Amino acid sequence: MAEVFGLYKQRASFIHGLHPLTKLAVSGFFLLAGLSLPGMWSTYLLVIFGLLPLAFLSRLLLELVSRTGRIVLPFMISVFLIQGILWSGGTPLIEVGPISFKQEGVQFAIASSGRILIVVGSFLWFALTTRPDQLMLALAERGLPSSLSYLIVSSIQIVPRFQARANTILDAQRSRGLEIAGSIFQRARAVLPLVAPLILSSLIDVEERALAIEVRGFNYPGPKTSYREIAQAAWEPMLQRFLLLAMAGTLILSIVLRLVS
Amino acid sequence: MIVEKAPAKLLPIEIEVDSISFTYPSGIQALEDITIHVSSGERVALIGQNGAGKTTLVKHLNGLLKPVSGSVKVGSWDTHDHSVAQMATRVGYVFQNPDDQLFQRTVWDEMMFGPRNLRWSAERAASSVQASLEMVGLEHIKEMHPYDLTFSSRKLLALASVLAMDTQVVIIDEPTTGQDYRGVQQIGSILSELNKQGKTIIGVTHDIDFCAEQFERSILMAGGRVVLDGSTRQVLSQISVIDQAYVEAPQLMRLAEKLGWDFMPLTVEEFIHHLDG
Ligand SMILES: Nc1ncnc2c1ncn2[C@@H]1O[C@H](COP(=O)(O)OP(=O)(O)OP(=O)(O)O)[C@@H](O)[C@H]1O
Ligand SMILES: [Mg+2]
Repeated sequence: MAEVFGLYKQRASFIHGLHPLTKLAVSGFFLLAGLSLPGMWSTYLLVIFGLLPLAFLSRLLLELVSRTGRIVLPFMISVFLIQGILWSGGTPLIEVGPISFKQEGVQFAIASSGRILIVVGSFLWFALTTRPDQLMLALAERGLPSSLSYLIVSSIQIVPRFQARANTILDAQRSRGLEIAGSIFQRARAVLPLVAPLILSSLIDVEERALAIEVRGFNYPGPKTSYREIAQAAWEPMLQRFLLLAMAGTLILSIVLRLVS
Repeated sequence: MIVEKAPAKLLPIEIEVDSISFTYPSGIQALEDITIHVSSGERVALIGQNGAGKTTLVKHLNGLLKPVSGSVKVGSWDTHDHSVAQMATRVGYVFQNPDDQLFQRTVWDEMMFGPRNLRWSAERAASSVQASLEMVGLEHIKEMHPYDLTFSSRKLLALASVLAMDTQVVIIDEPTTGQDYRGVQQIGSILSELNKQGKTIIGVTHDIDFCAEQFERSILMAGGRVVLDGSTRQVLSQISVIDQAYVEAPQLMRLAEKLGWDFMPLTVEEFIHHLDG
């Protein structure tokens, strides 16, 4: 089942029961605030006082930290090294022989790492706590064209699908005597013949799914009803509206702060 | 490293599954304390409803899955100590879905894939491939693309591509799905032929009539456990037990029961014989 719902991880948390749009608004707020607020520490404050507590409440703290870390850490390290060392001019912070870390470079690295952190972290938190099919439903209820919501959801699902498919094909190859645990050469030899059938079978998959949803009236122009409805607490629409306002407010605030400083 | 270069033919291989349990990473316990012994040359059917754990069990026999506890031995090899590729010299595994298995451009290349991995000489590989294609009746379409074949031909090709590796043990997951009556008969006679060569056949099947006709021994699974294990006649005639495992007894046996017979026929011939006699 795991592969069917993209990154989604089922947990018994009240966050998981929230309306998808509420969570979309929350992660949208983090995204916008993280990208717009000035100052190199603002994104870290958002992570520590916003994202991490939410992840904790979603019972996915470790999951989120490890997944985000795996994506963000390599980037952070290279940004620190490159910007710290190659910043032209600037105040040297530490000097090791001919190499010196510049203060301005490090500050830039802290700020841009924070941005990446909040972007990746809030996206992952959203994907981990929200079932794509529920998101699709919620978006369709709000009048988003179904072809657009299909596009969004299928792209969320494509990576895990691809992985599952690749693993199955690898299993079949190993079962017919292909050694893949050995040298790099052997691994490459195992993966290469996999590419063509993977693409071929994914295309067949796409075609079959397109047929399957079409025969169920996907392109039917009239109004549609939904078999399932997504529960939503009375306060959630209010919170959503508040978050939208907060986004606008943050945007204005950050423009003003930049003008003042 | 592939150990065997010389043909492993008729090297008797026993399979020992010793109290294994297995849990998928998602937390589903698919096997619970399973112990079975399969002697060389046996024909064994695994039956049970969807999700009973049949596929999970057979994936342990060639090392695709390793037990969380307990051990699986094929001959003297413990699957924990050998790679899947090494196990492939002893155990051939035909996947449930041929589309998970076929990925070469032509039928011939597809067939050569296994023997090449085993580093066989070109002549040995070619003659084994030719023989296997003839066995399933696909020798006239060597140059076709596997995706252009019908589903039932793809299933036969998947089977043949495993047979070409000439393993002592052949595992075949759901051989009869998507086959018409003639296809089912053909697969039955292929299995008999393999069995005559002394190979061990382990078949997973939902087709209970096929099971009754083709396998001398049956293992009924439910909820990750072995419920019944014995001769096919013994197992299938316990109609109430297999009912509880949501498997329907073969129609001949149900008919015999309705007729009030003590004798439980497995094949049409047996049924007619008993009727006449
Ligand atoms: N890759 C997987 N990840 C997680 N759970 C799995 C996986 N494959 C199977 N399962 C679960 O393990 C249990 C046993 O599945 P298995 O495929 O072995 O059953 P089966 O007897 O072969 O069923 P079928 O007759 O449908 O092929 C089921 O509950 C199934 O949902
Ligand atoms: Mg199965």
